Amino acid sequence: MSDALPTAIGTVVIGGGVVGACVAGFLADEGQDVLVVDEGRGAGSSANAGSLHVQMQSRFMRLYPENVPNMELQLPLYPKAVAFWRELASSLNAEFDLKMTGGLMVAESQDQLDFLGVKAKRERQLGLDVEILDRAQLDAIAPYFGPSIVGAELCANEGKLNPLLCNAAIRSWILARGVVLAEGVSVARIARSGTGFAVSTTRGTVTAGRVVLAAGSGTRLLAAGLDPPISIPAVAEPLHMNITEATAPLIGHLVQHADRMITLKQFGTGQIVIGGGWPARQDVPGGHAEVELASLIANASLAQHIVPSIGNLRIIRTWAGLNTSVDGMGVLGAVPAIPGLFVAIPGDAGYTLGPLSARLVADVMLGRKPGEDISPFGPERFE
Amino acid sequence: MSGFVINFEGEQVPARAGESVAAALTAHGIRGFRVTRSTAERGIFCGMGVCQDCLVEVDGVPGKRACMTVVDRPLSIRRQRNGAALPPVSDALPPATIDELAVERPELLVIGAGPGGLSAAIAARKAGAEVVVLDERRSPGGQYFKPVAVEGADVAPPDAQHREGLALVAQARAAGVVIRSGVSVWGAFRPLEFAATTDTGETRRYLPRAVVVATGAYERAWPVPGWELPGVMTTGAAQTLWRTARRLPGRRVLIAGNGPLNLQLAAELRSGGAEVVAVVEAAGPATRAPAAVAAMALASPGLVAQGLAYQWRCLTGGVPMLHDTVVSAVEQRPSGLAVTLAGGGATRVLEADVLCLGYGFEPSNELLRALGCRHEHDGTRLVTDRGSDGQTSVAGVYALGDCTGLGGARVAAADGTLAGLAAAAGLSHAVGPELARLGRQAASVAQRHRRFQQALWAVYRAPALAIAQVPDDTMICRCEEVRFGAARAALAEGLNDAGSVKRATRIGMGPCQGRYCRPLLEALIQEATGKAPDETSGFAPRPPFRPVTIRDLAGKP
Ligand SMILES: Cc1cc2nc3c(=O)[nH]c(=O)nc-3n(C[C@H](O)[C@H](O)[C@H](O)COP(=O)(O)OP(=O)(O)OC[C@H]3O[C@@H](n4cnc5c(N)ncnc54)[C@H](O)[C@@H]3O)c2cc1C
Ligand SMILES: Cc1cc2nc3c(=O)[nH]c(=O)nc-3n(C[C@H](O)[C@H](O)[C@H](O)COP(=O)(O)OP(=O)(O)OC[C@H]3O[C@@H](n4cnc5c(N)ncnc54)[C@H](O)[C@@H]3O)c2cc1C
Ligand code: FES
Repeated sequence: MSDALPTAIGTVVIGGGVVGACVAGFLADEGQDVLVVDEGRGAGSSANAGSLHVQMQSRFMRLYPENVPNMELQLPLYPKAVAFWRELASSLNAEFDLKMTGGLMVAESQDQLDFLGVKAKRERQLGLDVEILDRAQLDAIAPYFGPSIVGAELCANEGKLNPLLCNAAIRSWILARGVVLAEGVSVARIARSGTGFAVSTTRGTVTAGRVVLAAGSGTRLLAAGLDPPISIPAVAEPLHMNITEATAPLIGHLVQHADRMITLKQFGTGQIVIGGGWPARQDVPGGHAEVELASLIANASLAQHIVPSIGNLRIIRTWAGLNTSVDGMGVLGAVPAIPGLFVAIPGDAGYTLGPLSARLVADVMLGRKPGEDISPFGPERFE
Repeated sequence: MSGFVINFEGEQVPARAGESVAAALTAHGIRGFRVTRSTAERGIFCGMGVCQDCLVEVDGVPGKRACMTVVDRPLSIRRQRNGAALPPVSDALPPATIDELAVERPELLVIGAGPGGLSAAIAARKAGAEVVVLDERRSPGGQYFKPVAVEGADVAPPDAQHREGLALVAQARAAGVVIRSGVSVWGAFRPLEFAATTDTGETRRYLPRAVVVATGAYERAWPVPGWELPGVMTTGAAQTLWRTARRLPGRRVLIAGNGPLNLQLAAELRSGGAEVVAVVEAAGPATRAPAAVAAMALASPGLVAQGLAYQWRCLTGGVPMLHDTVVSAVEQRPSGLAVTLAGGGATRVLEADVLCLGYGFEPSNELLRALGCRHEHDGTRLVTDRGSDGQTSVAGVYALGDCTGLGGARVAAADGTLAGLAAAAGLSHAVGPELARLGRQAASVAQRHRRFQQALWAVYRAPALAIAQVPDDTMICRCEEVRFGAARAALAEGLNDAGSVKRATRIGMGPCQGRYCRPLLEALIQEATGKAPDETSGFAPRPPFRPVTIRDLAGKP
């Protein structure tokens, strides 16, 4: 925001996505002075679909079966993260277009329904509120599915919000708290200096007592450049999204598929947002993500297969954004090897987890006991 | 005259075969088509498929552009209400993959069948290239030639401009150019892939070896309070009604803007029987720039004579010409549109049924930008980096005409010939002495008409839109109904790029994809931050560049 960066500040947060912004806000709420530096290439938080995910996503289970144990470890955080979004809405007194409509993962065959049955059983053990519906039960609550759908898993803890509204409200909150926002500024390197750090940016060097790495997949390079180098294997995953023009309220739930990549839901604007992990491409590492025709065709045609009446709607825009993927869970907390350095990467469905993840890391930084056990998510697990 | 009856929400509207739904409804006095989220009515604005303000439901199918939908049978039309319920559908199509789409692999693909694209196609074909031309409109000719689409005893016959266009199309066909009309290209993907949907709903991929992009331009916004009202349309929209459908936009027409097209429209509508309330020109009279007028006459005596003829027809028709004057507000009154004009330190109000705004053009460069072609901002608009042979910064991609900057129909045609020859040569076709001579001729015509254009715009030099003076309650984003005040508030909160302002305010999020609001927002950003616009300062070019119906992506059952 301001042109000249401060030369010294208490805390520098690198990354102004939902996690970085909220960490800064929670620190500033306690009177700390914070600078957020973001290079502004529109990563996850400005591109995401606003699904509040709770049940395990079949996409991740299929793509990364080796990560399933980690996903299960983090699963109990998800319903809490959704509840935390609601708390944030009321504490900021902001309209997030947040709806706790529940989420449906649909099946098109007995096999898929069986897969959902096994998954639901495990999720119930981990504390989620899930049940399996047959087609008749499904029709009673969601009468918009196509003929091939045979049933679904309903997860009552799921919902949706409009990330555009959330990001704007979070931004206003932290600016009002005096957080300094440096947008369009990139961090090249972090050096240790005395008991703190010297953060070199495209707009000069800032010294800070503490640094928070909330830079999504950008975290990997920044951490690797430290002395000693820190390993955070966060990778960028370019993803595709579509949005339609508005229609009357039709799809209440967050809709997913047991065996195909899709998320489908309707915003308060009446627009239908179609996503679910179809790939985009990133020609240059660190560059912009670009839309692929193959993903647009597959994603949109699958959407009308599941909800036929939206076949008559027009897609008015697609976009691509960078998701951050690690090992099936987030990376949260202090880096033991470097005092004053913290990492805040939320994990899969990271927008859902964003504010809660930020709260947990801010608590550690404020010397409070975080309300959750974050030891499984510590950055030292990659050493 | 062959015709059909349109049922418009219960009202019987006579229509001529071949005209657009917009033309038939307009001729019947219907101006409100789309109904916005705030329940305001919108009518035709661009008249060329870009603004999306003319949306109607056709035979139960939502999201049809009235200006691009041809009457070829009796139709049942309803206003498109924002957020209306969808008709039920029981036959879901199976999920599709990209491999199921039809693929065409022409040697050379030309996008846009205006004077530029057609000339490129002809030249390349003559040099031996196999050429396919795509154009979204029902018939080729582009914005300049726009053929008459209707017939009948009461229909004025084609004029010389029409006939020139028909001859060019005939020449292209005779040379063996394949022209596919009604095909909207909505995606361009690197290195050289295009996605297009036909007006029958079939989606295809095009994988040419080289491409010539000649997609033309659309009219810029003139943001004043009330510019979104039904009855306010672009000069091009009114001209399309008249030149393609022989329909008048209304009885009393006020034409305002900057440049010669407004005068041509006045003369044409006058001859068609409209009352032209006035032609309001932002620039001073031509007598103020005698040297430039002389330069124009030297470069193209024919065009100057044509311009004088239009002026003469307006004068003898009693059309007042108001110079150094602009539109500063529009208001709907029971008796018509009250248009406030500002000029010479004073304001006055004139009443009309229709207000035409023609304040210059914006290039339709989204396909080029998506392919990664370099552009530079010249202070007014983005200009494509290209050689005199049309070669852009991307191998195999040629561009010419108004989509690359501006230059008018003559420059587009001449540059088309040059680009067509260069593209053919790039595809290893020999350009023999005869064609080389044609190329040299085209180069000199292009040069001459560039001189003409330069002199023309010296005559028509007018102050740029004063963005700081646009009132806060003026619409900046027509699609999402966002006003200047909201944009200014976002900038005051420290947001400083178009993408962030878009996400915070919804400016640019609608179906026109920011075509009208983007230049306005860039001007506001420049005012607030000093950052001059460049090729990345607008919204990222993302497909679809025309909204595309989901079912059309899933293939036909
Ligand atoms: C298309 C898409 C759809 C998604 N849909 C959902 C969904 O529906 N629900 C859900 O829960 N999650 C979703 N996600 C995931 C979610 O968006 C992300 O996990 C979440 O936003 C991550 O937030 P973050 O703050 O950790 O990181 P980001 O929002 O990615 O922010 C990281 C920031 O760091 C900045 N940065 C990086 N390197 C540097 C550097 N060197 N210097 C300065 N700044 C730097 C970047 O500019 C960026 O702004 C989706 C992701 C994508 C891409
Ligand atoms: C509304 C309007 C009215 C005009 N009226 C006049 C006039 O009366 N007299 C005059 O001298 N000049 C007029 N001009 C200016 C004149 O059109 C240009 O100077 C000249 O036509 C430039 O030729 P071109 O080949 O670059 O583009 P155009 O003639 O505009 O041709 C471009 C063609 O490409 C097609 N096209 C564009 N995008 C796509 C896509 N994505 N997929 C498929 N097809 C596409 C369009 O439908 C169009 O037919 C007008 C311009 C506009 C925008
Ligand atoms: S008037 Fe039809 S799209 Fe603009």
